[in-house]
Amino acid sequence: MWLPIFGLLIGIALGLLTDIKISSEYANYLSIAILAALDTLVGGIRAHLQNIYDEKVFVTGFFFNIILAASLAFLGVHLGVDLYLAAVFAFGVRLFQNIAVIRRIILTKWSLFKEKAEKN
Amino acid sequence: MKKRNKIAFTLIAVIVGFMVAIQFNTIKEPSIKQVKDTRDSYELRSGILKEQKVQTELVKEIRNLEEKLAQYETTISQSKEQVLSETLEELRSNAGMTSVSGKGIIITIKPIEENILLGENVQNVSPDLLKRLLNELYQYDAKEIAVNGQRIITTSVIRDINGQTKIDGKSISRDSIEIRVLAENAQKLKERIQVSETIDNFYVDNYEVTITNPLDIVTLPPYQNSLKIQYMEPIDE
Repeated sequence: MWLPIFGLLIGIALGLLTDIKISSEYANYLSIAILAALDTLVGGIRAHLQNIYDEKVFVTGFFFNIILAASLAFLGVHLGVDLYLAAVFAFGVRLFQNIAVIRRIILTKWSLFKEKAEKN
Repeated sequence: MKKRNKIAFTLIAVIVGFMVAIQFNTIKEPSIKQVKDTRDSYELRSGILKEQKVQTELVKEIRNLEEKLAQYETTISQSKEQVLSETLEELRSNAGMTSVSGKGIIITIKPIEENILLGENVQNVSPDLLKRLLNELYQYDAKEIAVNGQRIITTSVIRDINGQTKIDGKSISRDSIEIRVLAENAQKLKERIQVSETIDNFYVDNYEVTITNPLDIVTLPPYQNSLKIQYMEPIDE
């Protein structure tokens, strides 16, 4: 449970310490990629809580989503249509849905735990 | 969660964290650069002073380097490559990069004073007229020409920029224009230009043209701008 959070912190520390910067033209793509990654991460947590977690689906979903989102943004820039908004919208909605599901699952688990404690 | 699953999840988490941190770095950077300049005039003045010091340093450095260059040039002229540098010098003088002196005349163009007293406006010397005069001078075997201390070379341009007559981008004085001309036969040149129609055209524009008698020594300054060679390229061997 704590290992992924620890990994996240390590990643952030690594990124801040190495002081890597990308040029501002690509900042858009990175932001969309981050959104996709976050979506996949939250989706993975939800799947884990629902006991339908599959490593293959999770890992491929992660990379595929990032690439798809970035290429959508790229296409949008070249077509003059803000296609990245589509990605932002899709991932944003899914992020909220996933978080809502996670919240409900945790709430149910918590109330079950409480009932058990009361019975005992 | 199985142990293997956990590792994959952690790795992905690391990647996500890394990406977030990079994005953070990238976004944070420009805001520092775009800080508004809020220095007041005194601080600006001290800033200028600092920059001026830097400038003097740079000028000093340039002078040193130029001295060095001069030294190299003297060593070159003493060596076997003398012929080459002589050729270079010859080419430079042909191109108008050196100051030259010799027999010639000085033509002065001035606004007619009586007309100024009558309240007429003095216009700029029209570039067309000036061009015509110079062309005529060349036609009558003038070798080198300088207008108000500006050497005329093959690529010189005379034109009107925002109502000001400019030669190679530098404006020429409205009050008096001095044209120094070198010629083998200065007397002949003078006689020919004196009866030219162009002189009359200057009168129409309220300008008076005076031509000196042939002088033994007229000195022309070198061309001051750098030469821009657009269409010439060295041959590949």
